[in-house]
Amino acid sequence: MKKIFDVNYIFQSIPSIASALPLTLIIMIGSLFCGLIIGFIVTVMKLNKSTVINSIANGYVAFIRGTPPLLQLFLVFYGLPQVLGSVGIDINDWDKVVFAIITFSLNSGAFLSEIMRSSYLAVDIGQREAALSVGMSNIQMLRRIIIPQAFDVAIPNLGNLVISLLKETSYVFTIGIIDIMGKAKLIGSNGYGVRQLESYIGLALIYWVLCIIIEKSIALYEYKHNNKSKKEIGYNKC
Amino acid sequence: MAFDIQFAIKTFPKILRAVPVTLFITIFAIMIGLIIGLFIAICRINKVPVLKNIAAIYVSFIRGTPILVQLYVVFYGLPELLAYLHQIRGWNLSSNNIPHMTIVLIAFTLNASAYLSENIRSALSSVDKGQYEAAYSVGMSNFQSLRRIIIPQALVVALPNFSNVFLEITKDTSLAFSVMVVEIMATATVEASSGYKYLETYVDASIIYFIICFVFAKLFVVLENRLSIYKNSNA
Repeated sequence: MKKIFDVNYIFQSIPSIASALPLTLIIMIGSLFCGLIIGFIVTVMKLNKSTVINSIANGYVAFIRGTPPLLQLFLVFYGLPQVLGSVGIDINDWDKVVFAIITFSLNSGAFLSEIMRSSYLAVDIGQREAALSVGMSNIQMLRRIIIPQAFDVAIPNLGNLVISLLKETSYVFTIGIIDIMGKAKLIGSNGYGVRQLESYIGLALIYWVLCIIIEKSIALYEYKHNNKSKKEIGYNKC
Repeated sequence: MAFDIQFAIKTFPKILRAVPVTLFITIFAIMIGLIIGLFIAICRINKVPVLKNIAAIYVSFIRGTPILVQLYVVFYGLPELLAYLHQIRGWNLSSNNIPHMTIVLIAFTLNASAYLSENIRSALSSVDKGQYEAAYSVGMSNFQSLRRIIIPQALVVALPNFSNVFLEITKDTSLAFSVMVVEIMATATVEASSGYKYLETYVDASIIYFIICFVFAKLFVVLENRLSIYKNSNA
């Protein structure tokens, strides 16, 4: 009878699972970057006064928030070639990673637009008026006054978004991309699949460590930044 | 190949039939998860020596790993655990024929319990300490003060987060299809594969998910308004 559970195997499997880590990070960072651009556009649309533009943006965000990311991945993976194929564009030879990045960009774009909007509105309206009254242009006002303050408000939510995005990238193995999730499945099924559990625990440890790293660095940034800005303004610590 | 709207309409009722499975997983996970979550939250609030550390690690682990990985750990871990118990204790538990539904329910319950424990913990600690003290000082028992003073206030704080966890779990149940439980997502995939019409069935599925999420989100808002009536009564 085989040995039931082998702790050593967990640690043996970690390096080979981690060899797929760059792909996971590429998907995550690529999506985050494109998501920022989409999120910015959607935020501008949301703050627009026109009802039509407004409701397009709201509908998009409601759709993304109301459907599972896995379903969105499948919609893009199976649906996009079909839709573009019907207008004569052939994208069947695109890499699967591209579809993953498109999905998660659209997904994180919706959530980012919510974060951006709420943190933009959190900046006091007096700040905007003051910036305009000293003669700043709109872009100057955004860059020098609004965004630095809004960023501080957004940082905790941004951290949560990055963590959930990292966890959602595990879905890409369902369309056949070998990220760390897919790698763990492959390694587990070597040798008649008797070491599945160990490789998945190794995988869980990798995700756990990554999440803790992201969480701690966000907390560190917040801590340093809050202290610095308090000193500059001259608040008393209470 | 254009979008086949006839096919989409035809398969919609078939996919709709899988909705009870999705809702069953969600509600079961939330119900049992609430009980476990409450236990974890109480351990952490009262700083029970060893349990508090175990609870903190447990919550951090569940929140730091994808639900998909947790699903697979339970999928491969549960049979091994049962075989192990059989070996050392002689418990006669069959480890070969665990229904996949059981695995899904266990994984989602564990997942929900961690998120809900954080939810309960933050809600309970948001109630001002003076409220506890005032309840004691008018002679209420521990249980009375919880039921009449603390919980009504904590519920209002907890509801928006609770609603988020609920919707999050509803959407995550789409992963159950990866361990071969036939819910909305799996039904959509099965229906599609007959004619290679994935887009149509996935659009159907996303409409269904969207409606479920929309209805529950509205329900929770109504509930929240009802529960926060006390705030407006004598402000």
